[in-house]
Amino acid sequence: MPQPTLTYPLIAALTAVFLPFAGCLINALSGRKRTNSGIAIGTITGSLIAAAYVFTQVWGVAPLHIQWEWFVIGTRSFYVGLLLDNQSALMLLLVPLIAVPVHLYSVAYMKDDPGIHRYWMYLGLFCFAMMALVVADNLLLMYVCWELVGFASYLLIGFWFTKDTAAQASKKAFIVNRIGDLGFLIGMAILYAQFGTLDIRALFQGDGLVASANVVGTEWVTSVGSSMPSVWLTAAGIAFLLGAAAKSAQFPMHVWLPDAMAGPTAVSSLIHAATMVAAGVFLLARIFPLFNATTLAIMVVVGTSTAFVAAYFALAQYDIKKILAFSTISQLGFMVMGIGIGAYHVALFHLVTHAFFKCLLFLSAGAVIHEMQHLKEKNKLDIDPQDIRNMGGLRKHMPLTFVVMAVAGLALAGLPPTAGYLSKDALLVHAFEWAAVQRGVAGVVPYLLLAASGFTAFYIARLVFKVFVAPSAMATTAAAHEANKWMLMPMIFLAACSLFPLFSIHPFDVGHVWVIQGMLPLALWPAASLYHTLVPVFATLLSLSMFAIAWRWYAKGTYPLRGRGLLYRLSFHQGYVDRFYHVALVDPLLRLSRFFVTIDRLVVDGVVDGCGRIGRLFAGLAAWFDHYVVDGLVRFVGKMAFWLGNVLRRTQTGRVQYYLFTMFFIVLMVLIYQMIIQA
Amino acid sequence: MITLTHFLVVSACIFAAGLYAVLARRNAIMVLVGIELIINAAILNLVAFGRYDRGQYGGQVFALFAIVLAAAGVAVALAIILNVYQHYQSINPDDIRDLKDQ
Amino acid sequence: MSAHFLSILIFMPLAAAVLMLLIPAGKATAYKYIALITGGLQLLLSGYLYHSFSPGAGITDELGYQFFEYLPWIRLDMGGLGRLEIDYFIGVDGLSIPFLFLTALIMVIAIGASWRMTKQLKGYFVLLMILDMAVMGVFSALDFFLFYVFYELMLLPLYFLIGIWGGARREYAAIKFFLYTLFGSVFMLLVIVGLYFSVTNPETGAHTFNMLHMMNPGNYADGSIFSAVANQYLFGIPARLLAFIVLFIAFAIKVPIVPLHTWLPDAHVEAPTPISIILAGILLKIGGYGILRICFGIFPDAALQSAWWLGLIGVISILYGAFVALGQRDLKRMIAYSSVSHMGFVLLGAASLTAEGIAGGIFQMISHGFLSAGLFFLVGVLYDRVHDRNIYHYRGLASLLPRYTTFVALAFFASLGLPGFSAFIGEAFVIIGAFNSESAHGVLPRWMAIAGSVGILLSAAYFLWTLQRMFFGQTRLKGGDEWLGALKDMNTRETLIMAPMLALALLLGIYPAFALDKINASVLALVELVTGS
Repeated sequence: MPQPTLTYPLIAALTAVFLPFAGCLINALSGRKRTNSGIAIGTITGSLIAAAYVFTQVWGVAPLHIQWEWFVIGTRSFYVGLLLDNQSALMLLLVPLIAVPVHLYSVAYMKDDPGIHRYWMYLGLFCFAMMALVVADNLLLMYVCWELVGFASYLLIGFWFTKDTAAQASKKAFIVNRIGDLGFLIGMAILYAQFGTLDIRALFQGDGLVASANVVGTEWVTSVGSSMPSVWLTAAGIAFLLGAAAKSAQFPMHVWLPDAMAGPTAVSSLIHAATMVAAGVFLLARIFPLFNATTLAIMVVVGTSTAFVAAYFALAQYDIKKILAFSTISQLGFMVMGIGIGAYHVALFHLVTHAFFKCLLFLSAGAVIHEMQHLKEKNKLDIDPQDIRNMGGLRKHMPLTFVVMAVAGLALAGLPPTAGYLSKDALLVHAFEWAAVQRGVAGVVPYLLLAASGFTAFYIARLVFKVFVAPSAMATTAAAHEANKWMLMPMIFLAACSLFPLFSIHPFDVGHVWVIQGMLPLALWPAASLYHTLVPVFATLLSLSMFAIAWRWYAKGTYPLRGRGLLYRLSFHQGYVDRFYHVALVDPLLRLSRFFVTIDRLVVDGVVDGCGRIGRLFAGLAAWFDHYVVDGLVRFVGKMAFWLGNVLRRTQTGRVQYYLFTMFFIVLMVLIYQMIIQA
Repeated sequence: MITLTHFLVVSACIFAAGLYAVLARRNAIMVLVGIELIINAAILNLVAFGRYDRGQYGGQVFALFAIVLAAAGVAVALAIILNVYQHYQSINPDDIRDLKDQ
Repeated sequence: MSAHFLSILIFMPLAAAVLMLLIPAGKATAYKYIALITGGLQLLLSGYLYHSFSPGAGITDELGYQFFEYLPWIRLDMGGLGRLEIDYFIGVDGLSIPFLFLTALIMVIAIGASWRMTKQLKGYFVLLMILDMAVMGVFSALDFFLFYVFYELMLLPLYFLIGIWGGARREYAAIKFFLYTLFGSVFMLLVIVGLYFSVTNPETGAHTFNMLHMMNPGNYADGSIFSAVANQYLFGIPARLLAFIVLFIAFAIKVPIVPLHTWLPDAHVEAPTPISIILAGILLKIGGYGILRICFGIFPDAALQSAWWLGLIGVISILYGAFVALGQRDLKRMIAYSSVSHMGFVLLGAASLTAEGIAGGIFQMISHGFLSAGLFFLVGVLYDRVHDRNIYHYRGLASLLPRYTTFVALAFFASLGLPGFSAFIGEAFVIIGAFNSESAHGVLPRWMAIAGSVGILLSAAYFLWTLQRMFFGQTRLKGGDEWLGALKDMNTRETLIMAPMLALALLLGIYPAFALDKINASVLALVELVTGS
């Protein structure tokens, strides 16, 4: 039951959530000022401190819940509230922990940008929305924050709005996310219709409403007495999965993420690597009890295919940020797969470690791009500063950047002693354990994941080697220098967090990870110690061999393949998915729209105008009838009178004898008439 | 015997002659003559029927009145005809057509 | 009740119109200020009424109506036909009070938008005041004849306002609007007369036009045409169902539903900006209000029968309106079609016959009121400067007009249902209510809610496409340097007009209880009336 009073952790949580919003408002109202960055950094740091306090108070302890009535519709009430349990406290800490380094980094990265006050504003809005999302206690509030996060993402991707690519990318991101939001909304509608509440705790806790509802025959029956055909249970699961899939860029709804790289790199690191995209995974973990076997199977398929396909696409990309974008998509696929197999504790752990090293990867990529941009402007070159073919040998000029990026790369590839090793290999182990219990084609899943791991190691090694180790592609690279200290310090911090000590005493055994201990699911597949030793060893060896190949090909320059094969082109063109969407969805939609416009103008409005024309036709007929028939009758009568008068006029001859004769004649006629009558 | 009928027939003949003169003569004096004939026919009729009113002599009295009236009428009519001749230089009734509707 | 506030609210603009007629033409500013002051007073008065309205059910219960006034107006002894009884009966309940406030607000906005009018100001403002009076009257009237009088009275000023002060095809648009709406309401008159002869006033025993008596089945004379018990048939259709359909069509033309919507793009596009604001902001809501108050209130049995069809029409309107909006080149036409799409949500919510659905529909009406008014005002801002509304003639306006872009972006995002703004609550609860409808009373199938929700996606598509196309990227204008010079950013007057609308949308989005508290009781009463639960 929700608590009636505000305790310190709850107050701290509220502070953590609202400080960035306050910063956003202050920056919005004060316009362009020197204090903008200070306010932003101050508020997010305050938020971090509050979140840390909340974490220490809530982790491992019974959940805290408080709510206030928001509004009443009909007889039902809807609330705003906070739910602080292990998952939300962890996420609440994670967001500012990533955001603070990004803010500091942005000071140097976005220096002299004319729209910088808007940047701080949007960042504040985003942090507020994301933190509110993770502590929301009911699905409606979560949906509100979910869309707001999407809105902040729109603003930030399109930050440099004069760039056409950025404007298009932000529109694409919002619309694809909207598809997911539809799913979220439908899922909410299903749950509300079935259970009458959207409270997360009431629905999804261990003995909650969802868990106590059963499928009896073909009906999904609840403990509150309502029931629906059981297909709606699967539908609800799929609807929420759709929502998460769009937000977390699962295949085939990943298309917005690579385009989103048109935004500032700091934004990519915060939103599109570490936090916003993780919201989908977080949602899935939160509502896990809702998913039945069908939905979970679909989830595994989606996650695995995403992991594999995205890693494959990353192999042939040249743009440094696109490689990292696909890497993010691939890792998100791992997380979704993890939830699908029921190991949501490991999935969330991977979310946390991924946040650190992916953010770091983007920040260091940003440092490199920043440097390349300087070289471009100084030497007036016509190059793309994000293209790794123009880079090389930067190790000598940017040694620290090289080191931190290498650490992040190791974490991504999953090699000890990084934290990435712990989380990635835990996922692989659980995948093998899951597959062991499944029948049929499910057995291929862990091997696909291993392949994806291999690809991961390869593309990140390719990136690091081509950028830092290989001989320079341009002569002017010699003038490059190390990144600014405001950029370096956050990166070093993140590198430290990517190593194992933050998470576990033991560098190799995932069982010691304290994060996982706090989020154990209720039921797990049987643990097989065989997998626990074999899989990590094999995966590590695979990654190392991929490194060796990449070294040979990129550092040494002995690249054996020609870049024209079908597999290469499939990877480079990202599977032609964008083209497919354009041809199969966007173009038909626009054509349908134009068709309806024509129908509206010609048919619907045509009927109206037709009615008008028929009306005018009838009016013409009536006017003709009125003029010629009705009025004709009247005029005829007049003409008759005239004619008669004209005829009678002729009796006025003016001759007396004629008059006399007429008088006599008439009298005679009367007399004769009378005589006849008498007879 | 000379019966009433004979008188009436003679009266009718005189009337018819007078009527012809009124309607068909081109001379206004002849029209007057015709009017006189008609009046005289009527007087003859009156006298003829006077036989049945021996007590009050109605027929005779009426006839005397009629003769006087006829004379007055002729006098007035002749005066009119004289004036008309002075104005129109003709006494053909067909020439006096100023009241004709144009 | 005692201070006749409602009558003052309704007839204040008439007094202002009379005052304006007496002032000689030529003093342009006088008319503007009289109108503005009247609008302001109305706003204050309606705000006060809103604030002091205590949530009461209303609908069929006479005691639930507040600020009501009852004056016998026409009492005519017609010999063999009985006594004609028409009363001046006005009052508000939870259904109408938000619309009174909305009307007052939109009128003030429209007067503000009319500030730079130059042509025949006297006639313009007098007609505007008459329109104001008529709309206020429609929302307050509880006697059907009075309602009809006000309803018809709305058409005349609008015809002239569109036909004289409008754009290139104004005569066509004006006559189309006038005849289309009149077509619907003429048949409504037949139903009114039929109802009149069916219903007797329990107190006086005479026939009456009193709407509240019409809502009570016990007041119907036995064997009368619209008596529920008698179950008469007209042309082979149950008479009550036929009456419902006729009334529904009359109001549906105003909503407007597809396929009775084609008057709207022409009327909106050709009307001058302030009139577009009034059309979109208030007039469309009269359709929705009429359906709820009259169709559902007087013929709840027929409403329950027809709910499936109403839901289908709502879904079609949502999707069709959105698709056609996507294909428009004229900015104002696009917003007009988006209005069609958004009003489809209202119909879907009403058809769901659940508290969430109907409350969501009413909330959507209120929210759409100021948001569409804001959108049309923003179009007017651009049109005032360069007289061109073609989306394809503009690119990259954001660098040129930052403040304007901010307002447009916020208005667009608010309209497409971004949470934090009011449209989200309306649309989300329409969907939830429509979905819940099958569990609650099996009225609407679940797929209608899912189909309707696609409308949310499509509205994001056309709004964001327009935003990106017109405002982002490099600045390129069809009119070249001439336009560059003319395009100045929003001035103070324009900002003062836009800001309250967005602020209200934000306020209702963050604190929906502000509106929901007033309408809940009435919504529940209405649901109970129709579904009997």
